[in-house]
Amino acid sequence: MKRKIILLTVFYLLLIAIWQGVAALKIWPPYLFPSPLGVFDSFVAGFQDNSFTVGILASMKRVLIGYFLSVVGGVLIGLAIGRVKVLDETVGTIVLGFQALPSICWLPIALLWFGLSESAIILVVVLGSLFAVTIGVDSGVKNVPPIYLRAARTMGAHGLDLYTKVIIPAAMPSIISGLKQGWSFAWRALMAGELLYVSIGLGHLLTMGRELNDISQIIAVMIIIIIIGIAVDRLIFKKLEDRIRERWGLLNA
Amino acid sequence: MKTVNPKKLDSLKPEKVIDLRQAICPHPLNVIRDTLRELEENDVLLAVSDHEPTALENAPRFCERRGYPFRTVEQEGVWNIFIQKVEEKEARLKVENVSKSFSARDGKVSALNDINLTIRDGEFVTIVGSSGCGKSTLLNLIAGLEKPTSGQILANGKRVEGPGSDRVVVFQEGALFPWLTVTENVEFGLKLRKVAPKIRKELARDYLTLVGIKENFHNSCVHELSGGMKQRVALARALVMEPAILLMDEPFAALDIQTRESLQDELQRIWVESHKTIIFVTHNVEEAVILGDRVLVFTKNPGRIKSEHEIEIERPRKPGHPEVFLYTKWITDEIRDDGDAVDEVQEAAG
Repeated sequence: MKRKIILLTVFYLLLIAIWQGVAALKIWPPYLFPSPLGVFDSFVAGFQDNSFTVGILASMKRVLIGYFLSVVGGVLIGLAIGRVKVLDETVGTIVLGFQALPSICWLPIALLWFGLSESAIILVVVLGSLFAVTIGVDSGVKNVPPIYLRAARTMGAHGLDLYTKVIIPAAMPSIISGLKQGWSFAWRALMAGELLYVSIGLGHLLTMGRELNDISQIIAVMIIIIIIGIAVDRLIFKKLEDRIRERWGLLNA
Repeated sequence: MKTVNPKKLDSLKPEKVIDLRQAICPHPLNVIRDTLRELEENDVLLAVSDHEPTALENAPRFCERRGYPFRTVEQEGVWNIFIQKVEEKEARLKVENVSKSFSARDGKVSALNDINLTIRDGEFVTIVGSSGCGKSTLLNLIAGLEKPTSGQILANGKRVEGPGSDRVVVFQEGALFPWLTVTENVEFGLKLRKVAPKIRKELARDYLTLVGIKENFHNSCVHELSGGMKQRVALARALVMEPAILLMDEPFAALDIQTRESLQDELQRIWVESHKTIIFVTHNVEEAVILGDRVLVFTKNPGRIKSEHEIEIERPRKPGHPEVFLYTKWITDEIRDDGDAVDEVQEAAG
């Protein structure tokens, strides 16, 4: 663990040093190739005038609403097509088809339906992650070993209890990976949407950077987008996954 | 239950006499059972035997378990056993003309054909047969996990329409839920019954102790247990429901010999203490003899009961016991004569 921390610190310090060195050579003008110090200044400036904070909050609000809706929808649709054969054979094909469609392709329709509004961009986020969640839940439900259901039924479980106490817990490893993938799709869909449709948010800050020829700001915002994406993945999904793996004994010994 | 007329037995005037001195095989008790079946209520059967264990141990045990009045009179090394037929203890389970067929690619496959079976309260019945003989299918039908194609099953006087916690199954793989701890697994059914958490915890602890799971494993995850411990927990999870009938589907088949023997011991002890009605399916003849009061031999194509054997050996029975060995050999030979699945029987006997 300690070795890993030292290794990573040295690696990133070296990377920044090389970056700074190349920037200092001034092969390209600074408005095309910023220095790490310039990016750092943009960071500080962005947070000082609150533009970054406002952007982060606006983007987080959208992604949370959109992700929440797609989790609710995805779990319901996933359970339905996972358990009901006729729905799987019909609705299941639509899910697979839409999963192949890049989420940003929904933007034109979203703009026609909702105009230049929050709803349009949230719709893109929902449709971006809904199918990943659905597929995760569906495959989890389909792979529940029938013996668990039989055992539960002989102990008196029926109806809704079978779903809440057996099917969902048994499908949890696959559901979590669906949720995780759904999150990363939601985040990507949001950024694509914000870039194309201008309103306050992290994507908008990128566009602003381009319009103002401020490459340092663009890099600074990109780093923020990466950090948020990784942070949610590590702090929420990784922990959930680890807990389940430990409980189920799926950790590699 | 009808009243017994003891005078009739005292008069020592039998309606039917059978001589067991020639009957070495099939076993004398099977002859007694089959003859009694043909008699009228209150009739007296006289069985003549020159075999001391049969006369003084096995036949009395046989009669006591069924509630038949009996009397044994010795004359110069020959025992006259008078047995009066009375109405048997109430049936815990009745399988009536049950058939089951599955649709397969090449038409219908008959898994069970016209099965009739009565199991008394507190009886330990083992079902043995090669794979594909329908023994597990019958267990699933009794559990209510599958529906018979024809006929009906009455458990506790009620027609079986679906699964219920009066008929809990212990499966071969245990089927413990990996997302729950050991204690939570045992509490699962109680939770469905909405038993208060405190009582749930206590019951789970008691039953885990009963099956021999030490306190320090009660909060373990399922994957931390050995195969034998998993089956013990599965047994506790079934017993905690206090089912009227405990169904066991080859629960020890995947265990190594030492673990299997210790679980067979444990199960006999638990059965003697609780006197639950147990139906135990296995492909291992010796296991069937060790555990069962009665061994039903199944044969396949189509699945039906080939024979029934009364096993009156004193408990706890252990493998290698001479009588266990004799019964095992006898039943194994019988299955082998059947000509099907010889490999499997050899594996089961070995």
